[in-house]
Amino acid sequence: MALNRKIAYIDLSTGKVETKPIPLEVRKKFLGGRGLDAYLLFNHTEKGIDPLGPKNTLMVSAGILTATCASATARTHIMAKSPLTDLLGSANMGGFFAPELAWAGFHHLVIKGKAEKPIYLWIHNGEIELRDASQLWGKTTTETQWAIREELGDEDIKSAVIGPAGENLVRIANVMTGIKNAAGRSGMGAVMGSKNLKAIAVRGTMDIKIAYPLEALEYNKRFIDQIVSAKVNQTQGTLGTPFIWGATNSWGGIRTRNFQYNQCEYADDIEPERIDEICTETMGPYHMTGCFGCQVHCRAQYRIPSGPYAGKYDEGPEYTSQGAFGGEPDCKNAVTVLTGNHLVDQWGMDNLETGSLISWAMELSEEGILTSKDIDGLDLRFGNDEALLEMIRRIAFREGWLGDTLAEGGIRAAEKIGKDSFEYLIQVKGMSNLHSDERATPALALGIATGSRGSDHLRSRPAIDLYHLPEEVLRKIYSNPVPYDGPLSSEHTSYVGKPWQVLWQELCYMGVDCLGICKYHTTFLGATLPNFEDWAKVIYYNTGLEITPTDIWTVAERCYNIERLFNLREGLTRDDPKKGDTLNHRYFDEPCRRGAPDVIGSKIDRKKFKKMIDEYYEHHGWDENGVPREETLKRLGLDKEPSHLL
Amino acid sequence: MEPMGKVLMINYEKCTGCRLCELVCSVMHEGVSNPSRSRIKIMKWESEGLYIPMSCQQCQDAPCIAVCPVKAISRDETLDFLKVDYDICIGCRACVSACPFGAMSFDVIAKKVIKCDLCDGEPQCVRFCEIEALEYVDADRVSVFKKKEAAQRLSLAQKEAAALQAEM
Amino acid sequence: MAIDTEKLSGAESLRKTRTYGKVRCHNPSCMGRLQPRSGDDHVKCPTCGMEYRLVWVRPDFPRIRGPVWDVNRRLAQEVLAKKAAKKEGK
Repeated sequence: MALNRKIAYIDLSTGKVETKPIPLEVRKKFLGGRGLDAYLLFNHTEKGIDPLGPKNTLMVSAGILTATCASATARTHIMAKSPLTDLLGSANMGGFFAPELAWAGFHHLVIKGKAEKPIYLWIHNGEIELRDASQLWGKTTTETQWAIREELGDEDIKSAVIGPAGENLVRIANVMTGIKNAAGRSGMGAVMGSKNLKAIAVRGTMDIKIAYPLEALEYNKRFIDQIVSAKVNQTQGTLGTPFIWGATNSWGGIRTRNFQYNQCEYADDIEPERIDEICTETMGPYHMTGCFGCQVHCRAQYRIPSGPYAGKYDEGPEYTSQGAFGGEPDCKNAVTVLTGNHLVDQWGMDNLETGSLISWAMELSEEGILTSKDIDGLDLRFGNDEALLEMIRRIAFREGWLGDTLAEGGIRAAEKIGKDSFEYLIQVKGMSNLHSDERATPALALGIATGSRGSDHLRSRPAIDLYHLPEEVLRKIYSNPVPYDGPLSSEHTSYVGKPWQVLWQELCYMGVDCLGICKYHTTFLGATLPNFEDWAKVIYYNTGLEITPTDIWTVAERCYNIERLFNLREGLTRDDPKKGDTLNHRYFDEPCRRGAPDVIGSKIDRKKFKKMIDEYYEHHGWDENGVPREETLKRLGLDKEPSHLL
Repeated sequence: MEPMGKVLMINYEKCTGCRLCELVCSVMHEGVSNPSRSRIKIMKWESEGLYIPMSCQQCQDAPCIAVCPVKAISRDETLDFLKVDYDICIGCRACVSACPFGAMSFDVIAKKVIKCDLCDGEPQCVRFCEIEALEYVDADRVSVFKKKEAAQRLSLAQKEAAALQAEM
Repeated sequence: MAIDTEKLSGAESLRKTRTYGKVRCHNPSCMGRLQPRSGDDHVKCPTCGMEYRLVWVRPDFPRIRGPVWDVNRRLAQEVLAKKAAKKEGK
């Protein structure tokens, strides 16, 4: 059948490569992408291993729909134990890597061990080769990609690479492909660095069979119409993800000065429309670009208009860079945002984590917790753009005491800095929060607190909760494909029904991550975008796999529970401030100081939050400690893990 | 009057480089996903953000017709495109060498030359290109669109010049 | 597997609920629908008084660019002062 695809096991210590077909039975249980990665991670790592040691296993994968005739199947998923959180490490990127990996003959890679010296993997039409990368070591992310193309003499090669940050084992280092596509979160770049793996280069001209080509083509047209007709995607196609800034900063949902304010006032220079002007000035009217097969084209092209990096080409900046290098450090200059974005892209670091940690250090400096000696003479105050950019460099290259300390990630840095620095660190499970402020939006607060890879907006964010949708519309969305007759509320300041919305979104995002498609193509920012029902059709036409919307829901549940089992095995407990389903105390103790009249003064209610967590666990079939009940595991067929099917 | 035919018009400035055209082309023609078997291909300068789709121009005085030793390439009377008769084609690839645009490709899996056939009058690449970097238009319209765009630029430039003069 | 191609999925059927030409007030308890005139660069919410700067994605498609800082800041501060006074009065 069309779904005849392969997995490769690569041992970097021995150089041994083994390939196998992925059995249909495994596909039915985990589909592919992130879901199957989670299964492999649980099965191929031992409890308590050092994430930067040779015993960590790195999964690189394409989704079950990748490179088929479906829209925007560009996403690559990367998984390992996280060196940042010591829990689940999981990151996802767009671009052109995953489909090329599929045409090169593989959908999943399981990379073990550690190479003696720097190497890169060359994967070409079913062949896998380990090649010397000593000449690539030290190069930036784009330099590395272009050098590989030159060495192998093929401009169509796509590579997933690390920059200097990954080589330096910076725990917030990412894996990148293209100009700016980044598997950013949870330090996957450091895992590659620890294995001496500089890059994975892929190129393929093999067929991906389509089960029903003409039907798939027709349905794809309908699927794309559904995607591009959504108002959010039309806006994204014009302004990119920064468009989210407008509404969010308007009502007061942007973390500013670390966590002191919830709105970046008078920040007109970093508004999306201003950034769009710069893109137009430097790249012309048609400056939007996209990932493989995607018609949303949410990524802007720009050249930095002035400053020390004037003229440098880059893409983005995403909403995350706007907050990380604009709102959080209170640096309200577009050029700073564009420059910061360029630096992290080149050196290979998570923009979100970098900006958040520097803003945290700025607050610690303001509070006198960090002294000028600690920060090596840098004037690390809020609003100092130069200090922000310099600090990015010091983290990437582990320079100075603070650079080296922040390169260890928030929790380890807090341990080194001491005093009450941890109290100021805005994180969940060791991962920094997005620059959004969730004190007025309980559903979003619950989403970040329970995210399986730590604080995150791409695991379970019910963003459509902010649109004040009528209850009957919410019910239409949230009681499908499985029935839900509990309460739902249109009010996004309410605590009612939110645990179910968070769980539903969690499984919806797990679904897209298994399929390998983009979250802007599902119920994330727009209420009319495809989900379970639509996916059942697209999977069938493309792969021939007969699966119902409810089956996909169950797969997503199964995969989410595997992630939970992994986290529990590695030490997650419900109320642990460093490894639990918790929020920084400031969410409960400090009311919002800015924002719309009904936002100013809000904070999260501790009791109601605890009740939300209880309810959320109950919906999942987990006990009061957040541990899956035996009957839940039995129902999902997870009672005998690890089961080593692959 | 003879039909003037429609042509594939490429507005390369609009191309976002997503390669959906390559995907749907290979699915339409070969029933599989494989851009290396697509009739259209986007050439990229990634470090500059430049993407240019390349496909057959259906030349009037076509080098591929001229060079074919067995006369396997001819002009389709109804749709006015160049078609390969695979019953005659010997797969010598002379046309691949002769094409000045690189638009004649060789499919290494099917072992045959491949080129754009306008999908029997409904080009899938055009159908799926939402941003209209690819359009299927009457042959005489292409230069009219270009004229109009150029005229608009001229008019804007004149207005700017007038405004500058007024300031002086 | 038979797929009913005529049948709309839940998400597809929600398309008819889409409205163009309007934006929502960003004040959580207000969320009133505001309908600016095409091309306007400002809109004021008649219910709660918040004012917003607008952009137009298309001539029929407005979006809020951001608040009119001085106005909305003042409104928020007034509400906060009232809340504080009420608390003290208890």
